[in-house]
Amino acid sequence: MRKITFLFLFLVLCQWTYSQGNSQDSAWIRDNYYKMERYIPMRDGVKLFTSFYIPKDTTERHPILLQRTPYSCAPYGEEKWRNFAERYIRYYLREGYIVVTQDVRGRWMSEGQFVDVRPFNKNKTGTEVDEASDTYDAIDWMIKNIPYNNGNVGVSGGSYPGFYAAMAAASGHPALKAVSPQAPVTDWFMGDDFHHNGAFFQMDAWDFYSSFGKPRPQPTTVGPSGFDAHSQDNYQWYLKTGALKNIMKLTGDSIAFWKDLYAHPNRDAWWQARNARVAMYNIKPAMLVVGGLFDAEDCFGAWNLFKAIRAQSPATNSHLVMGPWYHGEWASNDGTHLGNIQFGSNTAFWYQNNIEIPFFNYYLKGKGADPQTAVATIFFTGENQWKKFARWPPEEEKEQSLYLQAGGGLSWEKPSGSGAVQASAGQAGYDEYISDPAHPVPYTEDVHFDRTREYMTDDQRFASRRTDVLSYQTPVLTEDLTLGGPVTANLKVSLSGEDADFVVKLIDVFPDDFTYGDEAPRARRELPRSYPMGGYQMLVRGEVMRGRFRESFEKPVPFKPGKIETVRFSIPDVAHVFKKGHRIMVQVQSSWFPLVDRNPQKFVNIYTCDDSDFQKETIRLYHDGEYPSQLVLPVIK
Amino acid sequence: MRNLIFLFLLIAGDLTCRAQNFVKDNYTKREVYIPMRDGVRLFTSIYIPKDPAHGPYPFLMERTPYSAGPYGDSSYRGNLGPNAALSREPFIFVYQDVRGRYMSEGSFQEMTPHKEGKKPGDGQTDESSDTWDTVDWLLKNIQGNNGRVGIWGISYPGFYASASLPDAHPAIKAVSPQAPVTDEFIGDDANHNGAFFLLDNFDFDNFFDIERPAPVKDYGHNIFNADIRDAYQFFLDLGPIRNTNNPEYFNNKGKIWNEYLGHPTYDAYWQARNIRTHLQHIRPAVLVVGGWFDAEDMFGALRTYEAIEKQTPHNDNHLIMGPWTHGGWGAGNWPRFGVLDFGQNVNDYYHQLETGFFNHYLKDSVDPGLSEATVFETGSNQWRHYDRWPPAAAHPVKFYLRAEGRLSTEGEAATARAPGKAAAGNPAYDEYVSDPAHPVPYIDGVRGGRDNQYMVADQRWAAQRPDVLTYQTDTLKRDLTVTGRLRADIFLSSTGTDADLVVKLIDVLPDGYQRLVRAEVFRCKFRNSFTKPEPLVPGKIAEVAYDLNEIAHTFKQGHRVMVQVQSSWFPLVDLNPQTFVNIPTCSAADFRKATIRMYHDATHLSGITLPVISQ
Repeated sequence: MRKITFLFLFLVLCQWTYSQGNSQDSAWIRDNYYKMERYIPMRDGVKLFTSFYIPKDTTERHPILLQRTPYSCAPYGEEKWRNFAERYIRYYLREGYIVVTQDVRGRWMSEGQFVDVRPFNKNKTGTEVDEASDTYDAIDWMIKNIPYNNGNVGVSGGSYPGFYAAMAAASGHPALKAVSPQAPVTDWFMGDDFHHNGAFFQMDAWDFYSSFGKPRPQPTTVGPSGFDAHSQDNYQWYLKTGALKNIMKLTGDSIAFWKDLYAHPNRDAWWQARNARVAMYNIKPAMLVVGGLFDAEDCFGAWNLFKAIRAQSPATNSHLVMGPWYHGEWASNDGTHLGNIQFGSNTAFWYQNNIEIPFFNYYLKGKGADPQTAVATIFFTGENQWKKFARWPPEEEKEQSLYLQAGGGLSWEKPSGSGAVQASAGQAGYDEYISDPAHPVPYTEDVHFDRTREYMTDDQRFASRRTDVLSYQTPVLTEDLTLGGPVTANLKVSLSGEDADFVVKLIDVFPDDFTYGDEAPRARRELPRSYPMGGYQMLVRGEVMRGRFRESFEKPVPFKPGKIETVRFSIPDVAHVFKKGHRIMVQVQSSWFPLVDRNPQKFVNIYTCDDSDFQKETIRLYHDGEYPSQLVLPVIK
Repeated sequence: MRNLIFLFLLIAGDLTCRAQNFVKDNYTKREVYIPMRDGVRLFTSIYIPKDPAHGPYPFLMERTPYSAGPYGDSSYRGNLGPNAALSREPFIFVYQDVRGRYMSEGSFQEMTPHKEGKKPGDGQTDESSDTWDTVDWLLKNIQGNNGRVGIWGISYPGFYASASLPDAHPAIKAVSPQAPVTDEFIGDDANHNGAFFLLDNFDFDNFFDIERPAPVKDYGHNIFNADIRDAYQFFLDLGPIRNTNNPEYFNNKGKIWNEYLGHPTYDAYWQARNIRTHLQHIRPAVLVVGGWFDAEDMFGALRTYEAIEKQTPHNDNHLIMGPWTHGGWGAGNWPRFGVLDFGQNVNDYYHQLETGFFNHYLKDSVDPGLSEATVFETGSNQWRHYDRWPPAAAHPVKFYLRAEGRLSTEGEAATARAPGKAAAGNPAYDEYVSDPAHPVPYIDGVRGGRDNQYMVADQRWAAQRPDVLTYQTDTLKRDLTVTGRLRADIFLSSTGTDADLVVKLIDVLPDGYQRLVRAEVFRCKFRNSFTKPEPLVPGKIAEVAYDLNEIAHTFKQGHRVMVQVQSSWFPLVDLNPQTFVNIPTCSAADFRKATIRMYHDATHLSGITLPVISQ
């Protein structure tokens, strides 16, 4: 798993890939389709390898459904077919789509040079290329060369292919009618995959680039091998490996993008060019952006690509679907639960049949009535209901501040008085903890190597028990509280050092007697046989902010030790109902390991600093009238 | 728990039907009240073999606070005696409700103090006299007995077995105290080294400490109902120990509970309940049994054996220690525990020894040739035999806690450091903040009850905490076998005036798993005396040295030895307020964070002494 894991995992789930098949569908597809492989020439002469599954039926013309991918259109060879198996892509084949996969420029069997998240060039001329122009050229070739196509093209793709779907949307080819970027890689510095608010997601990045990033000198059908850490304990391995420069030593200098990551610690022009949102102007096709509320990789991308389209291409027919999913789960056969949290129905199945397939059928086949897809179709966990909205965030959403209080309280009322007043009442105006890079707060409780996807809904009780995690919670709620929209953290802090990370976690505390009804009966001293849900502290949303970027992601600034400063940052949208009888909890901590690399807590270049630069520091979080720390929540009445 | 009800349910559950038929087919049951010297009558169930051919038979008796039931002449126990082989021997099996429990008359006392110098006729009783009077009655009133009596018991009944030893009736020939409750302030059940075992006792006394105005077959209910699903959170929310007497909990209805809270030092109450003092001039042969993973009375087994050995050197006294949880030796099958696989059903061998012991002393069967100490060595999964315990071959080797998390048999060079001062950039101490609002859990995960797997569980989650110090050796180049006394010797200071110290010995497997081998807590105010606690002086270095019971373990080649140090173990142990106050009466405001330093310089050689067996 640790080879190409996460993005690859997506591929396994979502693409038409190998698995034990629905033999009936497989036989039907074999009987009714043929496979073709072609090199499609781009405007600069580079040829991209493309595989086609085409209906034998010539009684009608067929739409084209394209995916462009860096993960290969294997299996190669016209005699070797993907096993379309039990994945819902088989429905598109049953509907007679021409299903096309293309190796993007520089990957696998395609020619040319691969560039990660290749910048969009809005002023390209002549033979200049980007991913939008490659898509344009591919579409143009296909509608002219593929027999019995109906002149309508759709593009979909999840994760990295979601980025290529977004770029396709920016191609402007008139035949492109509908595009679905799903968990699209959108901004790798601000919130997707490898950084969130400038904090480095070292585990995902290393896991991915240690194989994906290896050079491919010429076209090949053989993928890169992965890195084996020979460890079953990521916490221990990353702690022992130490400073980021030590990970660099493991790669040699063979992985170009790994070096790029190290060369661009701030959100400089290089990163700004690698933000898919800059391409989201004048978008012509109908758009269906899809993402998972609990997608550990590209939750940010789904919310924010959609928002960019709405803001920058307001006339575009654009839609958003967010379900209670891990990365790619909407394309799976399940969607009933994640980790310990139940969703009450098969949400993936519902999405496929009620949203995505009707969407493409309408725009590409002209089949059926306008599905009247809502602008936003969002699953609200807690209540476990799909809700439809005419905009997102919804019109009825209002920002409301939830304030951290002395004594671990959390309430809508702003604390009164200054720290001095509170101190005289026997309560400090702050809480403090020591953040020790030698003992960072783990992101999950258990021992494992590969990053889990369930951490996004895990029980946070293990964290509450630590001395370096602050917890604040409301009284038991007397009525349901619905949150839908973006969250902003606004912390008032002081440090004994020069830099710190701030991880803010929004948590749903379940009632002590909560049960899904399937736990084993419990005798007086009997240990639970299934996970004890009473008092569960469900992570609804967690996000990290690297403190040095509090004023600017381009130009980091150190903290002045002892000075109270504001750390304000965006947290991806939530859609959750805190039910009556539950509590809202907020936890604040300064590490999330090894998900996020450790902050040395010293103002140095983290990518080049030494092990000896890592130091303990004392962090104070204020909650008095003068310095009220708060979470701004999207409350829906 | 000291009550073995649940264990018995587990062990006996699936066997009950078949075994019950066996008991009914082969034994006749009688229920009698046996009068004691003070007129109090003790309820006693007697199972007499139907087969007269192989008699006369010896008695094998358990005296228990957990019921001699089932009650009624036609209701039979599912099994008899400590193991299945013994029930087939047969013996005349006797179960007696001790004074003041279930169907017996009289009033119950926690760990009935032994009375030295009492004489027949002076009206004084204790468990020794109750046992004497019972034996005397049995010999005279039960036909077909061979004039010999054996006594056994596990846990609280183990205490009654021990208590039968001083001034024992001459007919008592063989006694096996198994995991006997022995000293509840120093090492068993209620307290370890003065630190209160909150989780176990809150649960136990809720069930055990119900008032009984008159004999009953069934106590019927607990004192209170607490649906505890997350013990850590429950006890954290509960606050100071005094809140356990809130109306929804003990509400001052727990007599023993209030005795515990009323005796926070090793005072006369506890000293009177230390049966070790009285294990002198012992005549019956003794077989002490205990488990290395016994979360309740490992101390009792080891210290009972030791006390007899020291105070009655010529007694025929044996020790068996196996890889068992509390009473695990009573199970039919014991091939594994938690992640440990012993590679054998260790109880097959044990049951042979146990059966041989009682047969030899009560029936003149062949001497089973019991070693002085028969000890299962964990890590290597071998039974070992020693002619003394701890073995003479073990020599103490101190493993020093060193800077940068190292554990080494070499201490800091005497020239390198002034006391407590940093030298060469390395601080001479490590420190952590111990916060009673965020104590170190005794186990990871969410548990309602005490999970005894904590005794072998992976400690990696603890190593990840900033309030746990971790020290480890290099990878071992050869096996390291440690058998015998284990002692911690720690130099610490605190910003507070009291602290708990928990030292954990860990076997680090090649894959990184940190398997707990042994851990023990010490409440620092008792460092100089258990009777006269003394505050820590803030900032002043104090030495805290204590035993972690004996050990028999092989750290295999390729493993590492690790020591972790922390100042809470929650809610297994109650929170130390870290201020020098009377903990059972103190208030929430007395609980304070404290910064604790653990020193490892040339004059403060903190470390742990392992009993190394030379290879």
